[in-house]
Amino acid sequence: MVKVYSFEGCPYCDKVKKYLAARGIAYEVHDIEENPEDAAECQRISGDLTVPVTTIDGKNFVLGFDKKKIDELLATA
Amino acid sequence: MNVYDFTAKNKRGEDKSLADYKNNVLLIVNTASKCGFTYQYDELQKLYDAYKDKGFVVLGFPCNQFAGQEPGSNDEVQQFCKLNYGVTFPIFAKGDVRGDNAQPLFKFLTAQKKFEGFDMNHPIASKLLDALKQNFPEFLEGDGIKWNFTKFLIDRSGNVVKRFEPTTNPAEIAKDIENLL
Repeated sequence: MVKVYSFEGCPYCDKVKKYLAARGIAYEVHDIEENPEDAAECQRISGDLTVPVTTIDGKNFVLGFDKKKIDELLATA
Repeated sequence: MNVYDFTAKNKRGEDKSLADYKNNVLLIVNTASKCGFTYQYDELQKLYDAYKDKGFVVLGFPCNQFAGQEPGSNDEVQQFCKLNYGVTFPIFAKGDVRGDNAQPLFKFLTAQKKFEGFDMNHPIASKLLDALKQNFPEFLEGDGIKWNFTKFLIDRSGNVVKRFEPTTNPAEIAKDIENLL
């Protein structure tokens, strides 16, 4: 499952979600502002509390709204 | 009437009276997550650190009304946002700061101090103005809050002394704060 670490009011997070939805890809939203566990996990994956972070395996991730890199990430799944 | 007549919801959703901040100099700011004007959070924190022992408090009111369209975001390489981190001044619950559903405190603040234009010398001012003209022309009418990081300086008696637009960096307000302390 694709996971998107994000928080409300982050326009780039919304862009990632819209992009995934447009491609018909199901994803889970993890709000790092609302959920401390998600914040800790985001920090562990990317080393920071900067979002959007898109990941499938919790190891490889894409920071920000970068279509090309997101496509590459999805291609590895 | 002054700011002590108002209450606001804290992060836990409880009512907090601004009268609890009596005898302090206050800087009331509508904040947003770190997507644009990123440095202003850090500068606000620095002001708070510098003057809190003398009776100065920054009060942050998060608001998503301006979040969808960050000025200049299309030209920026940065396509991500950072969660506010290390901010120790009080942050209240998210809410509207403009329009019919604006929190009463912000209706009061904007009625007390009118919009007098942006500081066009600020590097982002023309971008901000263009973004507003293009996306939210109605925001430019009247005295309502125009964008994130509009700042209201309150004296030790609860009077609204001055309004600063997003185009005034927090660091530039230091002198005005010192004058009230």
